[in-house]
This record gives sequence, C-alpha cells and structure tokens, in this order.
Amino acid sequence: MRKFVCSTISNGLLLLILSSLPGAGMAGYLPDEMQVHGFLAQSMFHTSDNNLFGQSDDGVSLGLTEVGLNTSYQPYDRLNFAIQGLYRRAGDIDRGSFRVDYGLADLTLLEHDAGRIGIRGGRVKIPLGLYNETRDVPFTHPTILLPQGNYFERSRSLLTSGDGGSFYAEQHTDYGDFIFKFNYVVPLGNNQEIRSIQLGPYALGEFSAKPTVVTQLSYELNGGEYVFAVSYADLELGYHPLAGDRFGAGTSFVRPLMISAQYNGEKLTLTAEYNYRHNVMKGYETLPDRRFATESWYIEGSYRFFPKWQATVRFDTIDGNTENRRGTGLEAIGLPSHAAYAQDWTIGLRWDINGSWMLRGEYHRVHGTLWLPQADNPDRLRTTQDWDLFGVQALFRF
Amino acid sequence: MRDSDRGKMSLRVSAIACYCLGLWPLVAGSADIIINDSAPPGRFSRADVRAIFAMRQRLWPNGEQIKVYTLADDHPVHKDFVKNNLNMFPHQFRRAWDRMTYTGTGVAPIQLDSEQEMIKKIMNTPNSIGYVSKKPDNAKIRLFDYQ
Repeated sequence: MRKFVCSTISNGLLLLILSSLPGAGMAGYLPDEMQVHGFLAQSMFHTSDNNLFGQSDDGVSLGLTEVGLNTSYQPYDRLNFAIQGLYRRAGDIDRGSFRVDYGLADLTLLEHDAGRIGIRGGRVKIPLGLYNETRDVPFTHPTILLPQGNYFERSRSLLTSGDGGSFYAEQHTDYGDFIFKFNYVVPLGNNQEIRSIQLGPYALGEFSAKPTVVTQLSYELNGGEYVFAVSYADLELGYHPLAGDRFGAGTSFVRPLMISAQYNGEKLTLTAEYNYRHNVMKGYETLPDRRFATESWYIEGSYRFFPKWQATVRFDTIDGNTENRRGTGLEAIGLPSHAAYAQDWTIGLRWDINGSWMLRGEYHRVHGTLWLPQADNPDRLRTTQDWDLFGVQALFRF
Repeated sequence: MRDSDRGKMSLRVSAIACYCLGLWPLVAGSADIIINDSAPPGRFSRADVRAIFAMRQRLWPNGEQIKVYTLADDHPVHKDFVKNNLNMFPHQFRRAWDRMTYTGTGVAPIQLDSEQEMIKKIMNTPNSIGYVSKKPDNAKIRLFDYQ
C-alpha cells in the first residue's frame, strides 16, 4: 500500500512538472528550430493467473510507468540533432531505470524536392515492423500491450535501439512514398530475459549482442492510407557461461523477417503483420546444435465510432518452434509445454479526451504462456495455460 | 403513400443512415492554402501538398527549406484542410508526425493556436506554408496553387 501511495505521489509530481512544460514551449520561449515533446503514462494490470509487470495475479500491479522527453534542434537545413530520454518501470523485468532511447545526428546527404538520402549516427531506433520504433511511445499504438507474439515485452531491450549508424532514402512519387532504412548497430540488450528465452531458467551466464544489420523497406499510399513494409534483422548473440553453468559458450542467431500491411481509413484501421524468425543455436555443448523457426502473426481491426473513441479487436498468435508447436519435452529445461505457444484474443477501448490526455482499457484472453516474462514468473512450471489479463492506462502528452 | 412521398421518405431515411455512418460531410468547405510571398512559384500536385505537410518534401524548387505551420488536429479549419483539400484524415498526419517526433527521424510541423496566429506567422516567415479558412488581403501572403 505504501509503495502504491509513494508511486502515485511521485507520478503526480512528475505529471505536474511535465504539464507545465508545454506552456513554456508554446509561449514562444523556444525558437522554431527547436522542439520539445514528451509523455507520461501509468498502467495497471490484473491477471487471473500468472504475473505481468509485477504481482498482477489476484491483485493489481502498478507495474508499468513510462515517461519520455525528447527534443530536436536543427542548426542547419541539412543537419538535425534529436535525443529522447525514457524512464521506465516494468514489473520485475525493469525496476525503474532511465535510458537514452535515441540520441543522434541526422545528416542529409542529398535532397531534392521529391526525396532525400542521408545518414544518422549515434543511438538509433531499430525499424522492425510497424511499431518497433515507437513501441515505448504508448499513444502511437491502439492498445496498451502491443501484440506480444510479434513485439515481445520480455526481449524488448534487444530490439528497442542500438548504437551505430543508419542509412536512409526517401522518395515520394505520385504513386506513393518509398522509405528505405539500413541500420548497422550494436543492440543494447543484455539481460536475463533473453537468456531465459534462449536457454530456459537454469542458465547462469550472460548474452551479449554482436553488431547487427536491420533493414526495412516501406511503401505508403495516399499519405498513409495504405502502408506496406518488409523488415529484416540478423541478430547474433554470444553466450558467456559462468562457472558451474550447464551450458557452454555457444552462439545464437536470430533472423526475423517481418511483413506488415495496414489500411488507415477515416474510421476503420486494419492491420496485419507476419513474422518468421529463423533461429540457429550452436556450441552450447550440452544442447545439440539446432535450427528452428519461430512463427507469429496477428490481425487487428480498430474502429473510431466517435472521433475520440476507438475500439480494437485483435487475434495474435505465436509458436516458438514450428516443428514442436505443442512444446513436447520442454520440461527438461524447466518450462511447461504451454510455454511453446501463445494465442491472445484482445479487445480494447481507447478514449482520446483531448490533444493531451488519453485513457484506455483492454481485456486479453490468453491460451499459452510463451511471452510471459521470466522475472515476473520465476517458476515457469507453476504458470497456468489459460489466463485473463485486464489493463488500464492513463496518459498525458505534450 | 404516393410515389413522390415514398421517394422523399427513402431519401430522408438514407440521409439519416448516411449521417449515422459518418458518410455525410458536416462541413463541406475547403481551406485556402497560403504561402509567404517569398516562396517560389512552381507546379505542384495534391501529392506534393500531402508530402509537404507530412514533412517528407522539405524543399521548395529553389532549394530553400519549407517552413510548415498547422493548426490543432481538432481545429475545424485543420479538419477541412486535411479532408477536403488533401482527401486525407487528421489521424493519418498525426501518425506520420508522431513517428518522426518520437523516433528522432524528423521534425513535425509547428502547431499554432489560431487562424490569426497562422496569418501572422505566414506573413512574417520567409518560405512558409499554412492554411486558413479564407486568404486574408495581405501583400505578403499568396494563395498556393496546386492541381
């Protein structure tokens, strides 16, 4: 209870400070070349079984707090600087931490009236699917939780942003806009969730990511009425075992290929994404070298029945290994067979009260436990196959 | 019921149905797109205007950077402009601007509070573009022409 009160007070204070900022920005204190934006979001979750973002089972977890503040400054036409700081507290995965989400210099190499080519260097976002780049910016997606089969909460640190460079090309034509991005980055991820995904709960060592290629081609028609994208990443993770570890110094390759399509009508938005991940694991000594595929997809419909009200229905599914969709034999590494898959029916309601405030709620009926965070559920064998999840979120932005 | 009455009746019913489904335009007017007099002339298409306001087309034909000004998403003139001039919806622009703003890959247009402020900005900012319900009589502001 004390924790609840403290967190409410601190969030309230933060909100107060943040809400005074736009006044300063809009009153003309900032030059046109400089912009400041930000948001604060607080979510609460309740689950019938299993835990998400803290102790949500048979209770309410106040576990997801997200605060973002960004600014950009354009000293010359061809040069732009941008940085975003994020504070995030998410259950037992992330007990409150601040990080630089992106911090980059953007140099336009070539620009004409129908497009441009340029490079970005520093910490850049990773373009994978329609939502990965803005996954930590709550109001850019229709529900609190992104479809977990495609946008894992638990391995998020691996794919949110990376240090390195990005080459981009944009071309707009009368037949639509083409945007190409080619990133060469070192992902920031190095946490226990990735270890648990790769090797189960018994592993002791650490993973570190090698430089990675992530690339995306997207095509937008009629100013974004239709959006199509193909994204690909080639991740290499090296495992560094500790003394007494049951696994050797192996390497894992994860290569997701994601195909995305979206229709944005006046009232109706339809989205579908398909993700095929090719995985290779080798050199773990006690584990046989293996290759397998992870497959996930979702289909989602949102309807704006009033200008400020949007209802969303989604079906999201993932199979961790397409050759073992039922999870036979997972007990050997400390996982129940239902950790091999997850199917999630979601309904959600979003209310954009005004340009600054948003409220939303959602209900999930989930079959399977693949994307449950290890940290919130230390004993995976005690998790439940069929469970319900309720979430509400309040957000302020400027 | 006579045939003409029946016709009127069905017209009324379909009008109500259209209104309920949101197919009936509440405001049919389009906005005037205005530019600062310093902006160069050129041939522009509707796709160009969309690209300019989506911040994808950033230069005038003479190489000068375009300064883009907008009104709030729920401002009636913004709605008219997006819907009737560009044949788009405000949430499409919002999506594009948010993506840029929150990934560091671009800069959203500067949002102004009123048409009066818009007129002042366009008047005083070289290479600027914006929109109002009706172009003011001002030597420094020109109507933007596009096909």
